[in-house]
Amino acid sequence: MNAPIMPHPVAGTEFRLEAHQDDIPTGQTLLKVDNVSLSFGGVKAIREVSFDIRKGEIRAIIGPNGAGKTSMLNVINGFYTPQQGTITYRGVPRRAMRSTQAARQGISRTFQNIALFKGMSTLDNIMTGRITLQKRNLFWQALWHGPAQAEEIEHRLAVEHIIDFLEIAHIRKTPVGRLPYGLQKRVELGRALAAEPALLLLDEPMAGMNLEEKEDMSRFILDVNNQFGTTIALIEHDMGVVMDISDRIVVLDYGRKIGDGKPAEIAADQAVIDAYLGVPHHD
Amino acid sequence: MLYREAGDFKGSYAADIQTFPIKGERYLFWAFVAFCFLVVPFLITPYWEKSIIVPFLIWSIVALGLNILTGYCGQVSLGTGGFMAVGAFACYKLMIAFPDLNIVAVIVLSGFITAGVGLLFGLPSLRIKGFYLAVATLAAQFFLVWLFNKVGWFYNYSASGQINAPTRYILGVAVTGANAPPWATYLLCLSFVFVFAWVARNLTRGRLGRSWMAMRDMDIAAQIMGVSPLGSKLSAFAISSFYVGMGGAMFFSVYLGAVEVTEAFNIDKSFDALFMIIIGGLGSILGSFLGAAFIVVFPVVLKNIMVGGLGWSTDLAAHIEIMTIGALIIFFLIVEPHGLAQLWRLTKEKLRLWPFPY
Repeated sequence: MNAPIMPHPVAGTEFRLEAHQDDIPTGQTLLKVDNVSLSFGGVKAIREVSFDIRKGEIRAIIGPNGAGKTSMLNVINGFYTPQQGTITYRGVPRRAMRSTQAARQGISRTFQNIALFKGMSTLDNIMTGRITLQKRNLFWQALWHGPAQAEEIEHRLAVEHIIDFLEIAHIRKTPVGRLPYGLQKRVELGRALAAEPALLLLDEPMAGMNLEEKEDMSRFILDVNNQFGTTIALIEHDMGVVMDISDRIVVLDYGRKIGDGKPAEIAADQAVIDAYLGVPHHD
Repeated sequence: MLYREAGDFKGSYAADIQTFPIKGERYLFWAFVAFCFLVVPFLITPYWEKSIIVPFLIWSIVALGLNILTGYCGQVSLGTGGFMAVGAFACYKLMIAFPDLNIVAVIVLSGFITAGVGLLFGLPSLRIKGFYLAVATLAAQFFLVWLFNKVGWFYNYSASGQINAPTRYILGVAVTGANAPPWATYLLCLSFVFVFAWVARNLTRGRLGRSWMAMRDMDIAAQIMGVSPLGSKLSAFAISSFYVGMGGAMFFSVYLGAVEVTEAFNIDKSFDALFMIIIGGLGSILGSFLGAAFIVVFPVVLKNIMVGGLGWSTDLAAHIEIMTIGALIIFFLIVEPHGLAQLWRLTKEKLRLWPFPY
């Protein structure tokens, strides 16, 4: 119970994000989106989109504004229920799902507009990421001393690894409302990582950042992927970053999939170039 | 010089997450607790008991309960008075039905019964929030008071509509009824406050507390992190009502002894509790105590100064008292919107460096 405070652990050496292990081999399909359509009244946000995310890859979802990228993430983690189509995660197909269930099955995400818990410290925010992993019931929590405290410390150790990994040890006890934007983004990544996700969804992790912050964030994303083997799906507008860090890219435009492939293929794709240049289309 | 963290190193995470991380503060706290338990019972007089300390302790429990719901979980409630009434009437019915049951068990059971009622009235919180929820809980306030007034079974069809607390004993000492010695009622209330403030602290610092605060700060993000809105909101309602119910039970049995529901548990009580946590500090255990002290103790002190000290007439003093309290509430809200607890936190921040701030 008296876990000592560690002298700087080396990130990744002994620490693993393994709470949501599965036996899908690297390179096989982890999540498959099949013929999904989503509309809000008359607005068709997503139209018959299909693609897959393979275990261990960084999958980018790109497209112009309003293409349906964030809606796609919301469908994947169960926040929206599509009118049509199925999502197959770890071999189990479903259409409707509660977002809390998605969290319990190892899907974790960050938000385009920072959605941190403003009244809580960095540490508490990241600890919140481990809520689905903490099991002690009301009785033990009310007693605190004993099993609940032991569990708390066990999770604190894991969170300290993440804090160290993201280099935010100096702001551990600062309320997140007081942090600058770039650090808030990093804390949000930390909160998502704390859940030890099998699939990490990042919604514009570099929006509004300067070059240096973008480089830092790219490094963290690549490190998460390399060291922990976490599968990542990300939305990003900075094409330089997307082309550099992602393994495969899916392109959406007006809710339709217009391209899917390796970065080099996407960069050469005429339909994608047209979409980004704003060549008029008919519908 | 008590408040120093220099040289106070933390060797383990257990030491890092304790309630009073600074040694001097920890010692001071335990010395204060020892004083309350060992010295005050010998000094307490009936006046101090009836007008200051016992109401303060009981209101502290109520404020703790409301703070769990409103301060930690972000669900505004104006039904506190109604839930206190549930606790009081549950206590009365249990005392009458089971005369041999220990009063401690009766109070705790009343808390559980209130928790059930609170759970029921918490259901709307799953669909509505903010002011709309406040109105829904206001309905609870009026409905419950009406119910206890209307249905004779609750007050055993007594002619006056009042309920009276029979005398109950702990270890042969009366703690309810007219003959209870001040030190006994004081110790009973103090024990309840001590134990359940500790429980509240434990609940709010762990997983449950974080799920409440996550729900308060950003409910959508909380949901996506795996916090179930149903579980966290309803648990906050249940636990909050548990505290408020125990407060109501003690308010009736230990403090007042006889209660008429429309008078004792009206909407004013709900507002009092809300003022306590707003002035004391939302989302703070200490704030619940400071707020209760401000609302309960301060008017008495003020009155004593004006009537006893300065010799003013009572009606003048009463009016000045109301005006002063109102002005002070406004003053505190302007100076420190996060309440007295935040003021105390800032003072501590300054004390860390005092007297050499540079």
